[in-house]
Amino acid sequence: MKDFKLPSPEEIKKIVTDSPIWRSVFRGGVWKDTPRDRAAHIIGNVWLHLHPVRTRLRGLRFIYSWGMGGISFWLFLLLTLSGVLLMFYYRPAVDLAYRDMKDLQFVVSYGWLWRNMHRWAAHAMVVTVILHMIRVFLTGSYKPPREFNWVLGVVLLTLTLFLSFTGYLLPWDQLALWAVTVGTNMAGATPLLGNEGPFSSLLGMRINNDVRFALLGGTAVGEATLIRFYVLHCVFVPFVVGAMLMLHFWRVRKDSFSAAPYSANEEKVEVWPNLIVREYLAAALTTVAILVWAFMVNAPLEGAANPTVTPNPSKAPWYFLGLQELLVYFDPWIAGVLLPNLIIVGLCAIPYIDNNPKGVGYYAYKERPFAWTMFLLGVTMWFVLIAIGTWFRGPSWAWYWPWESMLTHKPLPPRTWNVPNLLGGPALLAYFAGGLALPRLLKKDLDWKVVIPAVALFSVAVAIAVKIAHAVFISNLPPLAQMLPHLDPASLKYGFVSTLLGIGDGMPHFGIGSFVLVSIFVFLLSFFGVLMPQRYIRNMELLRYVAAMLLVLLTLGVLMKMGARLGFNIKYVFSIPQVNFNI
Amino acid sequence: MSEIQEQTQSPQMQVLELTRRNFIKVAWGALVVFLGGLGLSTLRFLFPNVVYEPSQKFNAGTARDYPLGVSLKWMREQRVWIVREDQGISAIWGRCTHLGCTPNWFEAEKRFRCPCHGSNFNPHGDVIAGPAPKPLWHCKIELAANGDLIIDKAVLENRPGFRDKAPYFVELKPS
Amino acid sequence: MSPTIKKLFVWGNVALVVLLVLSVIRDQSGEWKKYQKTYYQLEAKELETKLAATTDETEKESLKKQIRAKEHAGLEIKQFIVKDLGRIDRCVTCHVGMDPLFNPTLTNNFTEQPYKAHPGDFLKTHSPTKYGCTVCHQGQGLATTVKDAHGFVEAWEKPMLGHPFIQASCAKCHQNFESLPGAEVAADGRGLFVKNGCYGCHAVKGWGGVISEDLGEVADKPLARIDPAAFAANGLPRERWSAQSWITLHLTKDPMSFVPGDPEGHMSAPISPSGMPPFYLELKEDEAKAITTYLLSLTAEKESLPHKFFVDVPVKPEPAFKSATEHGKFVFQKFGCAGCHGVEAKAGRRNFNALGPNQTKMEDGREPTLPDTVGTFTRDELRAKIQNGVPSVSINKFKTDGPTPPLYMPSWKEKIKGQELEDLISYLLSIAKKTEEW
Repeated sequence: MKDFKLPSPEEIKKIVTDSPIWRSVFRGGVWKDTPRDRAAHIIGNVWLHLHPVRTRLRGLRFIYSWGMGGISFWLFLLLTLSGVLLMFYYRPAVDLAYRDMKDLQFVVSYGWLWRNMHRWAAHAMVVTVILHMIRVFLTGSYKPPREFNWVLGVVLLTLTLFLSFTGYLLPWDQLALWAVTVGTNMAGATPLLGNEGPFSSLLGMRINNDVRFALLGGTAVGEATLIRFYVLHCVFVPFVVGAMLMLHFWRVRKDSFSAAPYSANEEKVEVWPNLIVREYLAAALTTVAILVWAFMVNAPLEGAANPTVTPNPSKAPWYFLGLQELLVYFDPWIAGVLLPNLIIVGLCAIPYIDNNPKGVGYYAYKERPFAWTMFLLGVTMWFVLIAIGTWFRGPSWAWYWPWESMLTHKPLPPRTWNVPNLLGGPALLAYFAGGLALPRLLKKDLDWKVVIPAVALFSVAVAIAVKIAHAVFISNLPPLAQMLPHLDPASLKYGFVSTLLGIGDGMPHFGIGSFVLVSIFVFLLSFFGVLMPQRYIRNMELLRYVAAMLLVLLTLGVLMKMGARLGFNIKYVFSIPQVNFNI
Repeated sequence: MSEIQEQTQSPQMQVLELTRRNFIKVAWGALVVFLGGLGLSTLRFLFPNVVYEPSQKFNAGTARDYPLGVSLKWMREQRVWIVREDQGISAIWGRCTHLGCTPNWFEAEKRFRCPCHGSNFNPHGDVIAGPAPKPLWHCKIELAANGDLIIDKAVLENRPGFRDKAPYFVELKPS
Repeated sequence: MSPTIKKLFVWGNVALVVLLVLSVIRDQSGEWKKYQKTYYQLEAKELETKLAATTDETEKESLKKQIRAKEHAGLEIKQFIVKDLGRIDRCVTCHVGMDPLFNPTLTNNFTEQPYKAHPGDFLKTHSPTKYGCTVCHQGQGLATTVKDAHGFVEAWEKPMLGHPFIQASCAKCHQNFESLPGAEVAADGRGLFVKNGCYGCHAVKGWGGVISEDLGEVADKPLARIDPAAFAANGLPRERWSAQSWITLHLTKDPMSFVPGDPEGHMSAPISPSGMPPFYLELKEDEAKAITTYLLSLTAEKESLPHKFFVDVPVKPEPAFKSATEHGKFVFQKFGCAGCHGVEAKAGRRNFNALGPNQTKMEDGREPTLPDTVGTFTRDELRAKIQNGVPSVSINKFKTDGPTPPLYMPSWKEKIKGQELEDLISYLLSIAKKTEEW
């Protein structure tokens, strides 16, 4: 024993790593920092082998990629971990759910931390997923051969929002109950399949057999809904998301990421460690951010769910506030079913409509002005709607300027009025037909230095015309009615005139605000709806052109309807109440 | 022998018969049928046959006890307003026709106002402001033999003209 | 590797460790731990005084052992699971002195909260293991921080009841609260409610007048149905917004001031402000508190109480009266006529925009002062008036294009009949200032 001395750390290390046990688990022996072993890190490791061994340096830069895809995935993993931990304490039953939330907050060690992290990571994931989509769009990384991956991405975005929605119900507080009530009632407004949608009677849809009934497990949000949403949120949708993510990552790898090669001898660097360390940093710093947020702000928990008391105002989570605000301007089946589906379909269609081969793998506004402008217009509108719903809407969904206290009493909302179908129907047809035809009719390139001021003047002229029409027809109603004393509103002969006289029953005073509103909206419509398409897509083949223009016109149509409602109290432009069809 | 068998079979039998020629097709067809049936029965599985919700009919007490105006007595338990006017009594379901929130009754303004998107209704349920597409629903309401009001929330009507008559309106002049 | 990457790597990992440490610190330093530990320390100090005073060796040993146990006592969250009432109360985590398991005598010498023991004998008759704490005290039993547990937070609408309002909880189970020692304020409250004629406008679970809201569940009034401007205008901080404050405001301020309506018709048709008369001019502060206490006992919780918690009381029969006039006076009070016509019919209360004598503004509108008016009616006319009532549209307005007066005479035909009606008329005629000789 006298020659026994403790082996050095290096010797211990060698003994361990040479042992059969170690070598059976970690194949490849001791790692040395050589190109061969750096490659082996990637090829030989199940978690990392989706990566290539070498990749373009340009694609690694944060300025290029923003890292949002990876960060979204990391947030998904964080949500899974925190979610599973929460599942040890949370029970999806109406008598227990709220109480378990309180327990997590007060008596479970680190319960407050995991719950807060789960909530804020969910919000963050919605943001990062949207930012990821924006980045992919701006770098043209959806163009062939990557179209299907973009579609997969849109599906993943929808599933992310659905995960958020189902998770929202689980705390079973007032916020949960009413946000989900509003959201699921939109399902009841589905055309054909919902009992309150258009044409519901065709399939015999009632409150206890329609698609909403299947979603809720009952006629109202209750105990059956809670367990269904729990299963959807914790099991079913995560599985589907997992499967879609596998497909999505596979496609990214197979299509060599998004920085498409544009120079033959572009420098490549090794993935280990260059990409791996950046991925680690993204994950670590995201975790730090979520931790700090979870520390400083508690996830909200309102009073226990009470089906007979609706909080005032009842607001959906911020990522759905855009839709909730849209509900002010459109019937539920449009705002809640048609438009969201159109947005999803429209997003999926982008790679198939866009036939501009330029701008793949780099930022190029100059080479893709139409794409950038219209996409960013849509994104901006989405966030403007969210902003309105967040800061401009108070109790009873009345309009409150952000500096106004929500305690001030607002006057009662003005009466709304409908444009008579005789005017509204043709107007709608003219909008779509004219909107489709006009850009293609003007065949030569226009000089915008001249045209834009002209369009501005035109907008003002339209506003003046509306002002005159208002003054003649509406403000002077009594004299007109007196001029035609024999007018019988019920008689068809004078139907049109009498409906004309009936316009503006709720029409507000046409002052400076309305004047500016009309001018701005006419200008926006002219610029985005006519000038932009005319310059950039008038020469597309017909099918593509029609698809693109329809999306443009629908987007701008939403904007115009908002202006009509906010500025003139117009409720419907065209309406067939018997079948619940109102626009 | 097989020839005789074939001659006695009807055409349909020949199609359904499992021969070596159509074996694979039948097998795949069976799989498709199985998957389709699985899908349909799963879909049916998701529609509950029993709901854990209280009964839609209830007794609202003595009709004559209700004062003129809107009574909130049954809002908590049944989500129904009892509206009494000079002509009689009706029962209005407290669910906004926009997206299902519960409006609040503002006595001072004599209107129902929904907190979710700002729909306003007059005491008859007509929409006077906001995005609600239809008037509030009136429930079936009857006067029982002992003077009690029986209200059935499962039978609803909201069209003007129809909702002001039986069975959605009980005539009861103030004594 | 670029220096930025290296820096981010270092600082990122450091940040993770720092946040971990902060999480541990924050999680392990619950507020309640401080209070519980202090309690044991206070107990240990008392024992040390005893130790210094004694000379007996065995007692010294036992005391030393006890002191050691107190000093090393493990801290834990304590709760009562009261299954019958559907409550889980963790109050004794901080209020250790009130836990019969840790302080079997339920008494101690401490004088400060949360260390002091529960006053009175209440815990002996209402053991927390059977009742919990919040069924009487309200508050948020599930919470373990002071602010949340006491319930003065945004998401909790039933904060702790202070004195004397806690007596409202007695009346939830004790139907005999009017003769129950310890519930005197609630009993007074009910008496005042009857005396001032509140029943005349406010029914309680269907019994009473129909001019205003039924107060049968007023203690449960959700904040979503209360105009927050009323609280803010009266300077109440957010954590004091509750049904209790709402009730108190009605009794200590002019209801017209925080339910102003729209009498000038700015928004649409003129609407009168709250019809509730300014009782605050007649009620003393402790009377207002007593009525509030009584009203806070009117809650839907009663319906879900298991029967074994209930203390029933047989319905008292009406007393016998010596004369018709005395009976009539009782009837006048029973049906809450004082609510509009004043206590003992002395003076009519405010009725916005009703036409009255010597009136200069709408707020001076008044109900009829019965001694002045009743004398002009015959017996039959008076009977008809009581039975048929006077609808609000028939009331003469001071300002003709102003709002309809909010208060009116309901028809009492179904409720006051027979002898009660006759005796009431006799009483009214007896207080008339002059009678008309026909």
